[in-house]
Amino acid sequence: MKIFQQSSEFDYSWEEVSTSNWRKYGPWNEKTPHVIAVDTISRKVDPATGILRTERLITCKQSAPKWVNSILGGEEQSLVYETSYVDPANKKVTMCAMNITYADLLSVRETCVYQPASSAPNAKTNFIQRAEITAFCGGWQKIKNSIEQFTVERFQQNAQKGKEGFEMVLEMSRKAFAEQREMLRIQQESKILQQAAI
Amino acid sequence: MSASLASECNEVKERYDNCFLKWYSEKFLRGTATSDECEPLFKQYEQCLSKALKARGIDSMLKEARDDNRENDAEHMRPKR
Repeated sequence: MKIFQQSSEFDYSWEEVSTSNWRKYGPWNEKTPHVIAVDTISRKVDPATGILRTERLITCKQSAPKWVNSILGGEEQSLVYETSYVDPANKKVTMCAMNITYADLLSVRETCVYQPASSAPNAKTNFIQRAEITAFCGGWQKIKNSIEQFTVERFQQNAQKGKEGFEMVLEMSRKAFAEQREMLRIQQESKILQQAAI
Repeated sequence: MSASLASECNEVKERYDNCFLKWYSEKFLRGTATSDECEPLFKQYEQCLSKALKARGIDSMLKEARDDNRENDAEHMRPKR
């Protein structure tokens, strides 16, 4: 088994991060073209805890090198199953993801947690990402090791791109919300002006 | 928002996603959500998507993934304190 782990901070409030998180793989993110589609398959607020539970299916373009494909089989797309839990009372987002494609040969399990940063709980958000990668493909330990090593390296590259792309989404999102507020303000002012004129 | 894996569902997915995002940021996070007003749109989207998942054999793979995910549910759906 190989483990990938990183933590970092976003200069955005938890509310902004948790909202933008839903559009992380949208058109504002130019860094993750390998993510082709994101589908929501179920969503429910648990009445007992107030936690929003969402299941999503993430479709990625496969771009493994030939030697990996020759071992795992050459699927064109790979699917990821993700369950997320948003606890608004405790301001915590937890996302758990696992691979569906090649699940008999390889297990990639990722957990991400977003929480307000203790240094500036209203302005910054702490992000923790951890993934465990285990290859099951029978035969030599050497092959398992190479597959795990390749996967953890690829995971690391994608995690970096994912973070950069998410920064883009956060920035665009803040702009869009500011514009929306400005529009509302202008509309309201013009109403006041109109009424004043009457 | 992102596309659907089934392009025929893109339109209804977009309507649902927009509805959800508005509900999430304006109601859910502020603790004022009383019901899920996007439910009717979700039902339409789900209907479209489930056909595609079945046709591609993804529904059975999903079932396995769900079974594997039970531990996460138990851990993260637990009431706090």
